[in-house]
Amino acid sequence: MAGASVKVAVRVRPFNSRETGRNAKCVIQMQGNTTCISNPKQPKDGAKNFTFDYSYWSHTTVDDPSFASQRQVYKDIGEEMLLHAFEGYNVCIFAYGQTGAGKSYTMMGKQEPGQEGIIPQLCEDLFQRTGENTDPDLTYSVEVSYMEIYCERVRDLLNPKSQGTLRVREHPILGPYVEDLSKLAVTGFTDIRDLMDAGNKARTVAATNMNETSSRSHAVFTIVFTQKRRDQMTSLDTEKVSKISLVDLAGSERADSSGAKGTRLKEGANINKSLTTLGKVISALAEMQSSKKRKSDFIPYRDSVLTWLLKENLGGNSRTAMIAALSPADINYEETLSTLRYADRAKQIRCNAVINEDPNAKLIRELKAEVERLRNLLFSQGLQELQQQQWHRWCRGFDPLPAAAGPHSQWDHA
Amino acid sequence: MASLSSDEWRAICDKFTNAQNLTEVESRNDPENDPFRSKYKARELLREIYCSLKSFEVSEGEEDGGGESAGLRAAKLGAVEYYLGVNHVDTEELSAGQEHLMNCMKLLGRCSVSSENVSLFIHVRNQLGILWAGRDETETAQGFLETAESIYQHYMKEDGSPPTDMTEYFTTEEKLLTHQERTKRFELAYTHTMYYLAQVYKNLGQTERAATYCHSTLQRQLQLNQFNPMEWALNAATLSQYYITKGRYMEGRHCLSAATVISGLAGEVPSEATENERREQLRQKRAEIARCWIKYCLNLLQDAKKLLEDNIGELDTDRQDELKRARRGEEEEEEKGRKSALLFGSEDTFDSIASLEEKVRCLFPLDFTEARAVFLVGQNYVTQAKEYFQMDGYVTDHIEILQDHSALFRALAFFEEDLERRCKMHKRRVDMLEPICTDLNAQYYLMIRRQLMFELAETYSEMMDLKLTLANRQADTQSLDSHTIKKFNHLCSASAKYFQMFLDSLCSPEGKVPEHLEEEVLRPALVARFRVARLHSRLISSSPSVQLDNLNRSLENYKYVVQYCETHPEAATTVETELELSKEMVGLLPLKINRLKARMAANN
Repeated sequence: MAGASVKVAVRVRPFNSRETGRNAKCVIQMQGNTTCISNPKQPKDGAKNFTFDYSYWSHTTVDDPSFASQRQVYKDIGEEMLLHAFEGYNVCIFAYGQTGAGKSYTMMGKQEPGQEGIIPQLCEDLFQRTGENTDPDLTYSVEVSYMEIYCERVRDLLNPKSQGTLRVREHPILGPYVEDLSKLAVTGFTDIRDLMDAGNKARTVAATNMNETSSRSHAVFTIVFTQKRRDQMTSLDTEKVSKISLVDLAGSERADSSGAKGTRLKEGANINKSLTTLGKVISALAEMQSSKKRKSDFIPYRDSVLTWLLKENLGGNSRTAMIAALSPADINYEETLSTLRYADRAKQIRCNAVINEDPNAKLIRELKAEVERLRNLLFSQGLQELQQQQWHRWCRGFDPLPAAAGPHSQWDHA
Repeated sequence: MASLSSDEWRAICDKFTNAQNLTEVESRNDPENDPFRSKYKARELLREIYCSLKSFEVSEGEEDGGGESAGLRAAKLGAVEYYLGVNHVDTEELSAGQEHLMNCMKLLGRCSVSSENVSLFIHVRNQLGILWAGRDETETAQGFLETAESIYQHYMKEDGSPPTDMTEYFTTEEKLLTHQERTKRFELAYTHTMYYLAQVYKNLGQTERAATYCHSTLQRQLQLNQFNPMEWALNAATLSQYYITKGRYMEGRHCLSAATVISGLAGEVPSEATENERREQLRQKRAEIARCWIKYCLNLLQDAKKLLEDNIGELDTDRQDELKRARRGEEEEEEKGRKSALLFGSEDTFDSIASLEEKVRCLFPLDFTEARAVFLVGQNYVTQAKEYFQMDGYVTDHIEILQDHSALFRALAFFEEDLERRCKMHKRRVDMLEPICTDLNAQYYLMIRRQLMFELAETYSEMMDLKLTLANRQADTQSLDSHTIKKFNHLCSASAKYFQMFLDSLCSPEGKVPEHLEEEVLRPALVARFRVARLHSRLISSSPSVQLDNLNRSLENYKYVVQYCETHPEAATTVETELELSKEMVGLLPLKINRLKARMAANN
């Protein structure tokens, strides 16, 4: 998988009760890794097609051969990420989509067999693999954190009673971190499972007309995985640390779920309602303008908490995957189309850090002169030598030269 | 209102007031797990109002006028549809919201624009603009908003009287708004129209237009006194960046000066945050404005450099004279320009803004004295910004400020004629960035470290060249004394070391060299190899075996460039000149190496 770009998958769920109650029709079709969506109000218009790394058809049931199960989603995406983490990379998987489209189901799932989401499966797999280790020089440690970002405020889900909002900071050695966020050591899958449950219960969930359990916040589940290897010969320890961030984003239709729409992840065409976001808009203008200029010529908009914390995951030494959840229903056509478009744009996200190079015209000029000089020098010296050789041959009466004399590569000059 | 008794009417008005209160005030206290509680209640009330009005209409259908115009009746019904529409949108039921807003449009469609309904005409289009933009249908959004814009402009031209505010449809006589208040609300609606249009134009890629609308939005906010000083200041500072990327330094400077002046007005505005939080926010925003000033100074110096440099990056004195001559005419243009440009401010602030502008130039600096003045302004803001954005807590921001400081030195060095002083400026850069590069966590700050490594490598190279030029100027002969050689070699190795560090950072966690270079690092990686090659061949040594070693390393790196471009043909286009030269060196160096080997063999 190409390092710096995002792997994108979309997944469509079955109808929910609200949709069934309104006799909703399905507007999504999938073929291979292509998803198509048809406009229920303009059936004559052609369907719009989108291609992704994966298009998961989860609208029907297990009996359908084309059905994409929780297991399959994990095997395709989660497992690959876990392997990258073992290699030492930071990884991030996040779920994007409208409220009720199936994000939490994909990420966390239900505690029933076959219904567990990526997070529990990944944790189980992690401990399975570390459990298989028989090398005494290799040790592992696993720590987890679980936080919620609601209206730009960070809450520790593993310690929900903690007062106030946690500050997000950067340390030169520790990297970006959340002050006072619980980081609990776990030794097995049951530990993680218990923490997840406790954290899930503490999440801010609201009941609205659209969805009985609408998630109003972004939830970030982080696993810090450390692999220590002892070199018997030197008695030195080398350490590989990887951070696995698993993010369940708030519903995309919320005007202020700005975590998914920071400047790093390209802006959608949404209009920000409140004038308080004027700065963001203005900033985007400068960014658009500067495609000819160096990107360091202006200050990017201060990212939302979420993108700030995850920005390291859009860099060269990490891997990111996004799963966009879709509702199949015609009554959500516009929002679903918007999600598909966003996912389409996500395919092109790349890290923004740029190496600015000084112009090297002077250096080039000098080197060209050097090449000239070198050529002339070697040529003239070579000519001298050739003359000498010819003189010797003549002296000897045209005897052939001994094989070892002189540099042979002289005339191999390409 | 003959049919509806005054009691019934009062009941409707009360309901409306309740609904507004629920929507705007109560809803802020709704619990997180039931966030739309108040808005659902408000919705019920609005529905009831709608039904009452509808039933009144039916019974009144045969009469003409009957106390109020058909237009006003339509507007009232339309207003209820409008509020229902907004209510649905706020509670994430976008399709239902759209339906209500379109109903409102239909009702208004039968009437002509008047002071009784113009506010509603504009508000409903604003909302529809937002809705369609949210669905990525930017042109549809544009349509609604541009219509709102022309309705406003037409109304102001033809009529201009303070129009009825929508809330007044359901108030009793005593509670009607003053003309001043009506105007204020109406103008605010139009300010939003401009703001939304700015966003639409931005989404359509029409940045110039978008910037103009942003500028107008900011202007209107100041004029109407509807702004939060700190927010306004930060937005104006951000807008300056847009102007700077377009090379419009006069407008940029104006925005920044206005931003600084207005930010001084902050502090008295009440807010919901605690005292500490508020002070923290103020400090942060002032520091951000300082950073925008740094960018201003830096860009001004860099753009001036681009104008003045010759084809190898040195100051072209002929061009300098030419530009100085041309400039005398420009200063008058500047005066005229200022008057026509959109100016910010009010009576009290015009002067303070102007006096700030006088502290720094907006025309390109053309010699060292002028450049130094700009540099000093920038450096001053660096100090300010670093006070807030300290390393512990704001690593990325702190380093970006240092990078800007380094860039300021680099830009100034271009104007400095004395080579010794020039070298000292580069030394300042190294001293600033080197310790940081070493201390940062390599995994978390990979991107930044790469930038720093590359910059350090180039700076050391620059210093190396300067040392050589200085030495050659001092001595007429080619020979250098041992002290200079040592210094030269030190700088040369340091440069190579950092380029190599950069290359090492591209390897996998196990230390494997990547087979394929990602797009963002492709050119820098190949250039780094090229530079390492060149640097090794420049190292001075009297020992032949050391010379041989250096030449071999040089060859190795030139070869890498050639081989990589062979196996990755698309890479060749990013490093054309370097590739060409690398190929030459791959051909020539072996000859030099063999010659050296032969001499070594002969001497033994």
